Amino acid sequence: MRTKFLYLFYIVLFTSCSSFLEVDPKSSISGEGIIKDETSANAAISGVYDALRSYYSVDYQSIAYLSGDNVQWTGSQSQVQEFINNIVNPENSTIASTWNGIYTTINRANNVINTLDNYEGDGIPAAVKDNVLGQAYAIRGLAYFDLVRVWGGVPLITEPTEKVGDNIGIERSTVEQTYQQVIDDLNLAEDLLPSATDRFAFTKKTVWALKARYHLYQKNWEEARDYAKLLIDDQSNYELIAPYYSFFKNNVTGTRESVFELFYSANEANPHRAQWQPQTNGGTRQWAPSEELIALLTNASTAGARSQLIARDNQNRWYGDLYYRSTGADPTYVIRIAELYLIRAEAYAELEEYDLAVDDLNSVRERALLVGRSYTTSKTDVLLWIEDERRLEFAFEAHRWFDLVRTGRAQQVLGVTESFRLLLPIPYSQILADPALKQNPNYSS
Amino acid sequence: MRYCGVFRYSLSVFLIWASVITVWAQETKPIINASLVGSVIDATTKDPIEGATVQLEAVTHSVKTDRNGRFSFVTGQKLPFRLTVTSVGYRTQNLVIEKSSTVIELNRSTEDLDEVVVVGYTTIAKKNLIGAVDRVSQQAVKDIPTGSFDAQLQGKVAGMQVAASTGIPGEALHVRLRGATSINADNNPLYVIDGVFLNSESLQTINTGGKATSPIADLSPSDIEYVEVLKDAEATALYGSRGANGVILITTKRGKNSQSAKIDVNLYSGRGKAAKLWELTTGPEHAELVNEYFRNIGQAEPFRPVADGGRGLPSEQQTYDRLAEAFRTAGVHNVDLSVYGGSENTAYYLSAGYNKQESILKPISFDRANFRFNLDQKVNNNLKIGSSNGISRTGRNQGRAGDGPQGGILQAALHTPTYLSPYNEEGVLVGRAGFDNLTLLLDNYDVGSTSLRYIGNVYGEYQITPALKFRSTFSVDYNNYNEHEYWNKLLIAGSGANGLATSAISQSTTWINEQTLTYRKRLDARHTIGALLGNTLQGSYFSLTSAEGRGFATDDFTLINTAATTTSNQDWDQYKLASFFGRVDYAFEDKYLLDFSLRADGSSKFNKGYQWGYFPAIGVAWRLSKESFLQDVAFLDDLKLKTSYGLTGNQNGINSFASRQLWSGVGSSYRGVAGIFPEQLANQELSWETTSQFNLGLDAALLNNRLTTSLNYYYKYTTDGLLTEVLPGTTGFSSFTNNAVEISNKGFELSISSLNINSDVFSWNTSFNIARNINNIEKLETPQNYGSRDLIQFREGFPMYSFWVYNQLYVDPQTGDAVYEDVDGNGRITTDDRQILGSIWPDYFGGLSNDFSYKNFDLSTFFTFSVGNKIYNHNRFFGEAGGARDAARIIFKSNLDRWQQPGDITDVPRSDGVNNNNYKDGGGRWLEDGSYLRFRTLSLGYNFTAKNLGKLPLSKLRIYAQATNLFTITKYTGLDPESAANSAANQQGIDLGTPPQPRSFQLGVNLTL
Repeated sequence: MRTKFLYLFYIVLFTSCSSFLEVDPKSSISGEGIIKDETSANAAISGVYDALRSYYSVDYQSIAYLSGDNVQWTGSQSQVQEFINNIVNPENSTIASTWNGIYTTINRANNVINTLDNYEGDGIPAAVKDNVLGQAYAIRGLAYFDLVRVWGGVPLITEPTEKVGDNIGIERSTVEQTYQQVIDDLNLAEDLLPSATDRFAFTKKTVWALKARYHLYQKNWEEARDYAKLLIDDQSNYELIAPYYSFFKNNVTGTRESVFELFYSANEANPHRAQWQPQTNGGTRQWAPSEELIALLTNASTAGARSQLIARDNQNRWYGDLYYRSTGADPTYVIRIAELYLIRAEAYAELEEYDLAVDDLNSVRERALLVGRSYTTSKTDVLLWIEDERRLEFAFEAHRWFDLVRTGRAQQVLGVTESFRLLLPIPYSQILADPALKQNPNYSS
Repeated sequence: MRYCGVFRYSLSVFLIWASVITVWAQETKPIINASLVGSVIDATTKDPIEGATVQLEAVTHSVKTDRNGRFSFVTGQKLPFRLTVTSVGYRTQNLVIEKSSTVIELNRSTEDLDEVVVVGYTTIAKKNLIGAVDRVSQQAVKDIPTGSFDAQLQGKVAGMQVAASTGIPGEALHVRLRGATSINADNNPLYVIDGVFLNSESLQTINTGGKATSPIADLSPSDIEYVEVLKDAEATALYGSRGANGVILITTKRGKNSQSAKIDVNLYSGRGKAAKLWELTTGPEHAELVNEYFRNIGQAEPFRPVADGGRGLPSEQQTYDRLAEAFRTAGVHNVDLSVYGGSENTAYYLSAGYNKQESILKPISFDRANFRFNLDQKVNNNLKIGSSNGISRTGRNQGRAGDGPQGGILQAALHTPTYLSPYNEEGVLVGRAGFDNLTLLLDNYDVGSTSLRYIGNVYGEYQITPALKFRSTFSVDYNNYNEHEYWNKLLIAGSGANGLATSAISQSTTWINEQTLTYRKRLDARHTIGALLGNTLQGSYFSLTSAEGRGFATDDFTLINTAATTTSNQDWDQYKLASFFGRVDYAFEDKYLLDFSLRADGSSKFNKGYQWGYFPAIGVAWRLSKESFLQDVAFLDDLKLKTSYGLTGNQNGINSFASRQLWSGVGSSYRGVAGIFPEQLANQELSWETTSQFNLGLDAALLNNRLTTSLNYYYKYTTDGLLTEVLPGTTGFSSFTNNAVEISNKGFELSISSLNINSDVFSWNTSFNIARNINNIEKLETPQNYGSRDLIQFREGFPMYSFWVYNQLYVDPQTGDAVYEDVDGNGRITTDDRQILGSIWPDYFGGLSNDFSYKNFDLSTFFTFSVGNKIYNHNRFFGEAGGARDAARIIFKSNLDRWQQPGDITDVPRSDGVNNNNYKDGGGRWLEDGSYLRFRTLSLGYNFTAKNLGKLPLSKLRIYAQATNLFTITKYTGLDPESAANSAANQQGIDLGTPPQPRSFQLGVNLTL
C-alpha cells in the first residue's frame, strides 16, 4: 500500500527538472539555417510558390476583374462593391490582404535569395541552386510587377525580415524604380533558369513571357514583340488550342495553351470557384457576370466559343464557369499563349504593322470560332479591337482593369471621373502600421 | 527556485511522505480505560442529529453520531472527558462529561458566518475572510434549464457578468468577472472543479457561424454542491498565473462520514418556445418596397404584370412563413439520481444523470449523460485518501445558427425573402436568395459532435500533527471531442463537391500534480497563525486529427472511406507550467487579520529568462464589531473592513510557441512537393501579462444577522498586456505577439441579503446585487478592428469592445437621405467620420431574488438586469436595406417606416441602394440600447411533510412548477438582448442570425429516500 502512495511522487521525482518547461513545436521548427540542402531548398521554393498562389487565387485577380466591367456583385459586403463602383477606400480589406500577400511572397523569396546567394556549402548542387535561385528572383519580379500595377511605386524590400524591426520604415520608391526592380529581377532569373518547358514553375521561357508583358506595360513595343515571338515560335510546346474552352473545360490542367499557371489540387485547393459557382454547385455566386458581359457572351457574333465561360443555374441566373472544379483544382492562369499573341498584336499595331497585328488578333479570334477582323490601316480601330478581344479572351482573368489603366482608357470606358482613382489607395492599416508609407494622392487617409 | 526547484521540491515531497509513512507505522493501539455512550440532539426540536462529530480533547480520536444521534467510544483516558461536539449548521459545543450515557444538546447557528470558504488551497471561516469571495449554493439554481451551470449563475454574483449569447443549450457563454483585462489573451475566468483546473476552451473545429460549444456544459449542475467566485487579488493570488480574470471554484457533492445512505432523485420536464420572432414583411409588402427602390433609382419596377415581363403585381405575391417552419416548441428533460452516505471511515457520493434539451431552432439539440463517483476514505487517524471522478458524454446535433457559412439555418429561414416560393416551376424544392432550401436543409442536416469527458483526481492527506497537514493530488481533465458533418448533394455545401463529409477528433488533456503543506495553530486565545507551502506542475496536451471526403456515389454513403477524394489534417500543441506558492496569515483575537502570499509561475510559452512571473498579494481586515466601542451596538452583529492588493498573471490564449522564431511546414506544398516558409518572428522578451488589483470592502451583518451586506470597490490595472501587434506588411509578416497593452477596470459591487419576515408559517428572503465596471484601454499604439465589417474597435482611451460606426443624426425630411455626423467637418462622409458610440459594457448589472415560504409552499422569483450596454442589431442591417437587395434578402417590417415623400419624419431613409449613404455598412442606425430587465425564473413548490408522506419511504418530497424567461423588458428591437453572433471574445454585442433564449415552463420533483 505504501508503494502506491509513493508511486505518484516518484513520477514527480524523476521528472528531469531542468527540462520540464522546455516544449518544442512539431508543425514548425524554430531556429536559423533552415535551408541547408537540396531538399530544404526545394521545400523553400515550394513555400514561395505557395505564397504566390495564395495572393493569386482570389484577391489579386479580383482587383483586376472586379474593377473592370465584366462582373457584378450580388453579396452584401461593401469592400467588393467598391471595386465595381471604382471607388476603393483605403480601409478596403481586399487591398490590405493583397498587399500583405504580395509582400509575404517577397519575404519568402528574399529568404531563398539571401540564403542561396550566400550559400557556400556543397549540399546543394550548382544546377539546383541556380534553378531555385532563378525561380525566387522571377517570383519576386512578378510580385513587384503586380504591386506597381495596382499602387504605383512601393517600398522595395530585397532582404529577408529576420527580426522585429527589419524592413519597417522604408519609404515608397518611384514607379520607375519599382519597374527597374522588376526587370532587374527578371534579368537575373533569365540568366539562372534553364530553358525548359514547365507550365507550373518558372523557367527561362516563363521569364521571356513575363518580359513581353513587362515591355508592353513599358511601351517598349519592339522588345514586347520580340519576347512574345520567342514563345509564339516555340510551336512544339505552345499553341492556341481550339476551340477556346479547350484550355479549361473537362478538368484539364497544364495544356499547351498555358505558359504559366499556378497548380492546385484537392490537397492544395483553390477557393476561387466558390465566388463564381451558384448555390446548387456549392458556391455563393457573389461574383456574377455583368449584364453587359452576358449580352456579349450570348450573342453568337461576339461570343463564339467563349460562350462556354458562362452558364445558367436552376433559377435561370447566369454564373461564371471558368473556375468550377469541385475538388478546388482550378488553376490560376497567369500567362497563356493567347496573351502573347495579343501582346504582339498590340506591339505591331503601335509599330504600325497593322496587317501583322490583325493576323495575330485573328489567330486568337479564330480559335474562339469568331470571324476574323479585316485588314485596316486605322491604328485606333486595331487597338480598340485588341482591347475588346482582351476583354473577352481574359473575361475572368486578371487583366481588364490593368489593360484599361495601362492604355489610358479606364476613365472613358469605365466612367471613372477622378483620375487619382486609377491608382488604388495604400491600405489604411499599412499606413497606421508604418508611418513611412505615404498615401497615394487625393485619398482621404 | 528556478529549474532545479522542481527537483528539490520533489525531493522534499518525497522526504515528507517518507516520514509520514514512518509515523504511521509507529502507531500504537490505545489502552482501553473507559467507554462513553451518549446521544446528540437538536436543542429546540429535540430531534436526533446524525453525523455530528464528537471529539475527545487532546486526542485526535473522534466519532460520528448515527442516524439516531447516538455515539459511543472507548478510550485510554479516564472520566471526566472534555468533549468538542460539532455539526454543520449548529454551534460548536465544548463541554465536560462526568459520566457515561449523556445527552448533548446543540443549538442551531443562526448565522452563516461560521461557514467556511475555500480560498487558494486553504479553508477559512467566512467571518475571517479578507478576499472578495461569493458563494452560490447550486441547490437554488440547479433546475434552471440551461446546458451548463455557469448560465445558472447569471445575476447571482455581484460583478459577474453572464450573457447567454445564444438560445442554443450547451453553447459558449460570455462570462466576465470584474471586466476584461486582455486584448489577445483569454478573458474567461479560471474554472477549478474539486481542485482540477478545467480546460474551458471549446474544442469545436466545425464552422457553425462563429458559435462554439461550451466545455463547461460537460458538468452536470446537480452534482455541484456550491460554487465560489473569487474576485480580488487576495483570493485569486494563489492561482497566480491563471487568476487574473477571477476564479470559479466548483465543489461537487460528497458523502459524509457516519451518515446512513440517502438517495436523491431530481426529475423535471418542460417545454420552451421563442417569446417572439422577427417581424418580416409579407410578400406584397416586400414587392412594394422593391418597386419603390427601383422607382427611386429610375429603373423599371420588377413587380409589374407578368405580361409585361415582370414578376406579377405586388398584390399578387404570396407570403411564405419560413420562421414557423424553422422554430419549434422545444422539450427539456432531466433526470438525475444520487446515492450518498458514509460509514465511520468511508464516505461516498455516487450519481448518474441524463439531460436532454432541444433548441427551439430545428434541428439543434443537446444531451448529456453523466456519472460521478466521489470517495473519501480514512485509512487511519492521520491519513485520508480520496478521489473525485466525473465522466460525461455530451452529444450535440449542431446547426449553423450564426454568421456566414453555407448551410445556415437562419439564412434559409430568416434571410430568404418571404415572397419567394420554396418550389420552382417544376414543383421541386429550391433554395432562394443564395441560401439553402429550408425544408431540404432541415431534413438533411447532419452535423454533430460527441464529447467524452473525464474530470477527476486522487488525493492523499496526512495530518502530521494536529496543526500540520500535508496533501497531495493528481488531477486530470481529459476531453475526447468527436465531430462530424455530412452535406449531401441536396445542400449547397455538399452539392459542389458531390457530397462532402468531414470528421475531426480532438483530444485535450490537462494534468496537474499538486502538493501543499498547511499549518494552522491557535497559539493562545489571541493569536492564530497559518501557513501554506505548495507547488504544482501542470501540462496541457492537445491533438487533432481530421479528415475530409468529397464525392460520394450516392447520399447513402456517408463515411469518408467511400469518398472519391479524401484529405486529412493533423494538429498538435503542448504547454507546461510549474508553480510554487506560499502563504502566511495571522489573526489577532479574530479582530485584526493579515495575510501575505506569493506565487511563482514558470511557463513553457516564454523563453528562458522570461519564463517566471512572481505574483504577490497582501490582505488586511479589521473586524470592527469586535472592538469594545461597538460591542454595545445591539443591532450590529458583524462589521468588517478589508483591503487587499496583489498581482496576478495571464498567459492563456496566446500560442504555445508565440515567443519563438518559427519556420512552418503547414499547408505550403506546391505540386505535391512539401513546402516550408518563415512563419513567425521571435519575441525573445515575451513574458507574462500582469494585472494588479486593489480591493476595498466592507462586510456587515445586522439585526441578528437578518440583514447582511457586502460592498466592494476595486481597481485593476493590467500591464504588459498580450497583444497580437500589427507589423507592416512589408516585413512579410502580419503580426507578432508582444506585451504592449495596458487596460484598467474599476468598479464596485454591492450585495444585500435580507430575511424580511421569519415566522413559523411564513418567511420572506430578499437578495439583491448590483455592480458597475468601467473598462478602459489605457495604452494601445494602433487601434484594432474586429469583425468582418470592422464594427468593433479597440482604441486607446475607450473601453474594449467599443462600437465603431457612423453616427446617423437624422433623415432629411426633404430628401429622405440619412444625415451622418461629419466628425472631421470636411463636408464628406468618409471612414474618418466613423466614431466610437458606446460599448458592450453595461453601466450597471445585477440580480434580484425574492424567496417566500408559506407553510409547505415555497415561491421564488428572480430577476436579472443590465443597463447601458449597446448592441449592434446586424439582422436589421440586412433586413432594412429598403428593397435594394431585392430578391436577395428579407425585408423587415420596420422598413415600412421608410421616408417616402418630402415632409416624412422618420429615421429610416429613402430606399436607394445598399452601401450607399442611406444603407451604409457600419451605419449607427442599427446600434441599439441593450438594457433589459428579465424575469429569469418564477417557481412555486410544495414540500410534503412527514405526515403527508405517511408510510411512503421518503424523507423529503417536493414538487414544483417553474417558468423561465417569462418576460423581458427592453427597448432592444431584436429578439434577445443577450444575443451575440460570435462566441469569439472580441466580437460580442453583434446580433446576427442567433436564436433567442426560450421562454420555458417545467414541472419537477425533488425527492429524497
